[in-house]
Amino acid sequence: MRLAIVSDIHGNLEALHAVLRDIEDRQVDRIVCLGDVVGYGCDPVACLDLVAERCAVTLMGNHEHAVLGQLGDQPMNEVAQASMEWTKQRLDDRHLRIIERFPMDHTIENFYLVHASPHQPDKWPYILTPPAARRGFDATSAWMTFFGHTHLPTIFALSKGGQCRSRFGHDFQPLDENRYLVNVGSVGQPRDDDPRSCYVILDTNTVDVYYRRVPYDYKETQRKMVAADAPSLLVERLAIGR
Amino acid sequence: MAEIVVKYEDKVIERIVTEKRRISIGRTNDNDIVLENRGVSRKHAMIEFNNNAAVIIDNESLNGTFVNNRKITEEVLRDADVITIGKYSLVYHTEATNTTDERSSLDGTMVLNTKKQKDMLENDRVEKQIVAKYGGSVLTGEENAEFAEYKLDREVTTIGKAKFVHIKAKGLFLAGIQAKVVSENNCFSLINLGQARKVKVNGESISRCVLKNGDLISIGKSTFKFVEGRG
Repeated sequence: MRLAIVSDIHGNLEALHAVLRDIEDRQVDRIVCLGDVVGYGCDPVACLDLVAERCAVTLMGNHEHAVLGQLGDQPMNEVAQASMEWTKQRLDDRHLRIIERFPMDHTIENFYLVHASPHQPDKWPYILTPPAARRGFDATSAWMTFFGHTHLPTIFALSKGGQCRSRFGHDFQPLDENRYLVNVGSVGQPRDDDPRSCYVILDTNTVDVYYRRVPYDYKETQRKMVAADAPSLLVERLAIGR
Repeated sequence: MAEIVVKYEDKVIERIVTEKRRISIGRTNDNDIVLENRGVSRKHAMIEFNNNAAVIIDNESLNGTFVNNRKITEEVLRDADVITIGKYSLVYHTEATNTTDERSSLDGTMVLNTKKQKDMLENDRVEKQIVAKYGGSVLTGEENAEFAEYKLDREVTTIGKAKFVHIKAKGLFLAGIQAKVVSENNCFSLINLGQARKVKVNGESISRCVLKNGDLISIGKSTFKFVEGRG
């Protein structure tokens, strides 16, 4: 099976459309979404509808958790908080009910899917370094985990000897003797100095992992955001991917 | 302390700073640099450090090891040399910087059949022919719309608009002798003798530059490629 794994769409409809078009050309059997469909961007409703229509599974992200008021006392930065309030006002009961049903994690064949980390997934830790990845590896027995949340395409590999190394995300063919945590990057708000949307295709038979980068009309997204009075930080970062 | 910058399709994926005397490169975990791609052999190549010199040795890999686009079996590495293994390139630095396939029956390594691999092999074949023909380093270019090869067998080879230079170059405001290629210590250096920005190597203006195999030199409107005759 060829599985497309998308994450962190963040209400960016132009990016989502471009990625779905790219997926259509690549003989994909199933699409899964690792969460954060909403937040930051101007089109949370359209993105939720499109994801509901096209993705076989969509996981809970911290932005969905926040919209549902389930983040508890976990801090959110000012911009994220403001954008969450904006998003919340646009979601009706039907969309809130859709979000409520998003699971925290999911397993397909031997592949574990989660938004932030296998370690305390509902506390939304960031896996940016090998020590943080190590905590993730310790919390799951899965051979390969796919996650999002940091918006940084990264591959963490744990050898049998316990050595954990990280690399920038690129096409690879994993080794049986390692375990992997694979960050699939972000569709709607890439932060690796490349403004193109990022997602991953996994061939579950050959276990080949392909990173896809898809250009989209970010100027249109920016235009909508400016019209909606979105903070300039959120608007500007789309052009530089940071 | 050497640094090796690992790139995949021109994007940096890892920087490795090492003081080891020997670095192994291959597909399996027991290598120092693991390249997880079936176009890479299990034990593909190794870099050995001896008396400040680094030597890369290809371990009879299926798809080969290239240094500056030239297929090698063993090669002394110089700063900024680019080692290509499958779709990966490894840039070697002497000092750390701040910043439709088939499988071989041997070890499951795929035969790479990509355009880049084919181009590199063809390029390698042509360059080896040129080097064999002239027995040393050569600049290739065009003269009167014909492919031309200029053997670099002098201590100084001059390039410019003057009648007496060894290699003619075209372009407005080019000096009589715009540049010279100097042979020293087994290396060739390109030196700009005239106006700045008239001499470029791989697109960058230079005043002086040690040439590496495959470097593209533009002088005014003329373009040359440096084909190195070592090894």
